[in-house]
Amino acid sequence: MNSISPIILTQGLSRDFKSNRAVDRLDISIQPGELFGIVGPDGAGKTTTLRLLAGLLDISDGSAQVVGFNLKKNPESVKPKVGYMAQEFSLYAELSVLENLTFFAELYDLDKNQMRERRDSLLEFAGLTEFKQRRADKLSGGMQKKLSLACTLIHNPPLLLLDEPTTGVDPISRREFWNILTDLHLHGTTILISTPYMDEADRCTRVGLMYQGRLVECAPPHEIRANLKGELVEITPSDWKQALQLLEDLPGIIAIQTYGESLHILVNSVDEQLPEIKNVLHKHDIKYQNVRQTSARMEEAFISLIRQIEA
Amino acid sequence: MSFRHLRAVTRKEIFHILRDRMTLVLVLFTPTILLFIMAYAITVDIRQVPIAILDYERSAISRSLIQQITAGDDLELFSQVDSFDEIEHLLIQGEIKAALIIDPNFSSDLFSLRGLPIQIIIDGTEPQSGAYAVDHIALRAEELINIQLTRQIQALGLDLDSIQPIDLRIRTWFNPSLKPRVDLVPGLISMVLGLPALSVALTLSHEREHGTLEQLLATPISRVDLLFGKMIPYIFFGLLNVILIPLVAIAWFRIPFNGNFLLYFALSTIFLFAILGLGTIVGVFMRTQAAALALSFLVIFFPGFFLTGIFFPIASMPEIARLEALALPGTHYAIITRGVFLPGVGLDILWPYGVMLLGLGMAFIAIAALFFRKKLA
Repeated sequence: MNSISPIILTQGLSRDFKSNRAVDRLDISIQPGELFGIVGPDGAGKTTTLRLLAGLLDISDGSAQVVGFNLKKNPESVKPKVGYMAQEFSLYAELSVLENLTFFAELYDLDKNQMRERRDSLLEFAGLTEFKQRRADKLSGGMQKKLSLACTLIHNPPLLLLDEPTTGVDPISRREFWNILTDLHLHGTTILISTPYMDEADRCTRVGLMYQGRLVECAPPHEIRANLKGELVEITPSDWKQALQLLEDLPGIIAIQTYGESLHILVNSVDEQLPEIKNVLHKHDIKYQNVRQTSARMEEAFISLIRQIEA
Repeated sequence: MSFRHLRAVTRKEIFHILRDRMTLVLVLFTPTILLFIMAYAITVDIRQVPIAILDYERSAISRSLIQQITAGDDLELFSQVDSFDEIEHLLIQGEIKAALIIDPNFSSDLFSLRGLPIQIIIDGTEPQSGAYAVDHIALRAEELINIQLTRQIQALGLDLDSIQPIDLRIRTWFNPSLKPRVDLVPGLISMVLGLPALSVALTLSHEREHGTLEQLLATPISRVDLLFGKMIPYIFFGLLNVILIPLVAIAWFRIPFNGNFLLYFALSTIFLFAILGLGTIVGVFMRTQAAALALSFLVIFFPGFFLTGIFFPIASMPEIARLEALALPGTHYAIITRGVFLPGVGLDILWPYGVMLLGLGMAFIAIAALFFRKKLA
């Protein structure tokens, strides 16, 4: 890509648990300043990957270089340079917002002045200033996530590892959270984020799709969408349940998703499959309207990729 | 080692203890509560054991025996019966724990020095009460014999002192009235002060269960700072109990404290360090609080009960148990508490136990730090 050395570089990175290989020969190279999204179904190995990169799990096989250190040899050297945010809320419930921030500031060896400055600006940044005396367990889910992020950012790390930070958060908090991430991204922080939300993947500079422990696709979102095999048709049948059943097994149809009362049908070719679809619906007396071709989004691209791998 | 990291973890842990009411109660009061429960549950004072008496002789002497036996409040005459069947019935009903049968030839056998023809039947399902009844009936009977024999000897015109060549007097030191609690409570103290070990075992697995350990392990904190930082608050709260418990022992259980309090305090600090080290090992190995709790009971409290010599003398244990007892902080600390409370011995005698505790504590911490890895799995 360019001559700057990558901030994360893994070669054949693998991690085995008792009976299964959670991460399987992962090769990733992430440049400083990237906002890299990891997507994939549950159990694909996203969390294990992030924990490996944060030095929280032993590497079973392969190697990883993080912020210039060999992760296997010097996991503790990596830690001061990385901000890691676990998937589940993992701050101290009985400590206040301010006490949590202070605790992590001390563990990351900030001096008194730095600590005060950093604390204040992060509280402001996360919109938590007026809640700073509140106990962490009395915060809303969205505020807890923002506090977690603030604690993760306390030492101004060049690399952020965020494990599904917005799961279970309401849409407004999610948007606020992403505004913060975008801001960090624009200031040059490298961010590696895993997410189950496709709209979030769309906001990343690059997306890696994990499936059964492997990285099966890695490209900017627009390329992933462009590479999508097939075309997308939207149709609103009078009885979507029956329509779904009838159309599912039709040849040339890759995937069908429901959106309210309408169906998004991913087909090999609209010209070939659309007449067939109409034909089947006619035969079963199902009326339909609003037939139109739409542009595919990450969600369809993602599902189509998974279908291809599974086939 | 970083002093700031240590202080940060210690402060965080103190906040946690103070703000979580359950933890606070567990840390502050359970040793006292446990002391009360065990002191009362284990030393049951047997009093007023109900007995029945079947008197076949009905003489003045046999009546004075009965009077002698029922004079104190240790034995209670439930009823005087006329047949053996009645005794059986009362025993089966559970109304009496023992029965005394006085032989028809009681006084003549007594005066002709042929022995003491009485029979005692006890309820074998409650041997403690039964044995107690036997002891006390025998004691009273002896008193009666003494009185009767003295009278006879004096009637014969002999000097009493000249015919008593042996004068055996048993004196019990340190606990002259042989009150069971006086002996037991100082030993129990060594056990209940081990409770903070439970808290420290639970706090590590608590962090693991609540996911806070994950965030903590992602920071640059060293293993030793993390483990010590978690131990220190429990040493502190444990020391509050080191002060509180003797006060309870002295004020409530009337246990004499004859030793030096500062010495006791210093040795208790070392003991807390050692027992918390053991608790830390448990916390390091167990993933969940439930497992940590179970293992704590298995390696700290059950051996503390059976192996530390509080209830069963170590000298009578098989060798392997004696070795295991040596590795338990409670064994050494029980000697210290018993020594400081009753005979009031000083450092000249207790120092080897202090050294042992210090060594054990350091070994436990080393093991905990060795096996504690900054990894999640």
